[in-house]
Amino acid sequence: MRNILIIAGNTFHQAIRDKILYGIIIFALIFIGSSVVISSLSLGEDIFVIRNFGLAGIYIFGLIITIFLGASAIYEEVERKTTYLLLSKPVTRADIIWGKFLGLLAGIGTTILLMAVAYLLILLVSGGSLDFPAILAVMLQMAEVALLLAVLIMFSIFTTPLAATIYTILILYIGHVLPLIQEFAIKAGGTTKYLLMVAYYIFPNLEKFNIRNLVVHNIPIPPKEVLLSLGYSAAYILLALFIAQRLLNRKDM
Amino acid sequence: MIKIDGLTKYYGEQKAVDNLSLSIPEGTIFGFLGPNGAGKTTTIKMIVGINTPDSGSININGRTPFMPSAREEIGFMPEEPHFYDQLTGLEFMRFAANLFSQKSQAKESLEEILKKTGIYEARNKKIKNYSKGMKQRLGFAQALVNDPKYIFLDEPLEGLDPIGRRELKIMLENIKKEGKTIFFNSHILSDVENICDQIGIIHLGKLIYFGSVDNFRKDKSLEEQFVETIKKL
Repeated sequence: MRNILIIAGNTFHQAIRDKILYGIIIFALIFIGSSVVISSLSLGEDIFVIRNFGLAGIYIFGLIITIFLGASAIYEEVERKTTYLLLSKPVTRADIIWGKFLGLLAGIGTTILLMAVAYLLILLVSGGSLDFPAILAVMLQMAEVALLLAVLIMFSIFTTPLAATIYTILILYIGHVLPLIQEFAIKAGGTTKYLLMVAYYIFPNLEKFNIRNLVVHNIPIPPKEVLLSLGYSAAYILLALFIAQRLLNRKDM
Repeated sequence: MIKIDGLTKYYGEQKAVDNLSLSIPEGTIFGFLGPNGAGKTTTIKMIVGINTPDSGSININGRTPFMPSAREEIGFMPEEPHFYDQLTGLEFMRFAANLFSQKSQAKESLEEILKKTGIYEARNKKIKNYSKGMKQRLGFAQALVNDPKYIFLDEPLEGLDPIGRRELKIMLENIKKEGKTIFFNSHILSDVENICDQIGIIHLGKLIYFGSVDNFRKDKSLEEQFVETIKKL
């Protein structure tokens, strides 16, 4: 565990010093900030527009940062042979996987936190109150990006960053239309139903983490659903990182 | 003692290392020589526990390097080492040292190691701004952070200027005087012949010579004898 945390700390330092990351964050803050201008064009729906725009911005830029940091996580370690320096020390391959995951998650979490603080400040300045449901939405977004990061790390062991990015975007898309796929499968029946249901259970259901619409429309969020979603994310992360660990164990450096 | 017995490694159909056996006594400098692609790096990566062999065994001080705890006594410098570019030299040294348990961390401070390896002045510079020679020195420095008993170096003289090579050779001799065992790969033969107690020559994965430098070169230079031997095969 000690070495996992040391690698995580190193990964975090390395990630937050990347100049490209700063560029994305600045762009994200401008996007979230622009919600004030756009809300001024609405007719008395300022807070609604700021919440809608702000949460969407945090989500989209959170995803961009996750893919940017996660796609090359292990691939770069192997290609640039920094793994040689780690594995010749009392470090296991599992330490590298978990250390990278936690370090990158801390980096992504920091940037999402920064965006969330900017959003809350804009909301307060614009006359809104402290948006607790939005904090819950951001928390679930973190569970979603953690899951995607674990999947990205798994892909980055056996494929290039570009391919890992494409696969993850596909999973992201499929993950958000899974409820529709399930509905279609039930109506379709026969073999199609079974094939689609297999896909439904293999791919991560990312809609479980999307409560943004409920938040902006002030619909109550059942705490049980939130807890189930967090558990679902944790289970998927464990599975993806376990597979990643097995793949890395079989890889010659 | 470093004891390697019947080590074999395949990459697909190709046998990269073929039934290699070596026995290296404590407190000696061993030079592992061979042309490019002979299997030197593949061998050293297995010895330090990075990759596993398909068959054979490795024992370092009676322990297998595939147990992470056994690597507490090992220092390794890879060929053309790459680092985390956003870190400074000193930050990387701290990171490397922290990966070892407290008891195996170097008695001397990290800054002392950086001074000894000639990279102290650049310790607060980001590694991305280091020259090839500076990275090579940092690679050597990080191999010493745990005060290892066994030091493995893959082409340590590569990328160093004549002054750097001379300094490194002096450092290796000083480390040997402390009773440590050094195993290094090289194809710069002129540098090897002065400092090695024993050499091993590998060609196409097979060990073709193991013994003292003098026994091998006889009345010729090491380079002449090496080229002649390889050409005959």
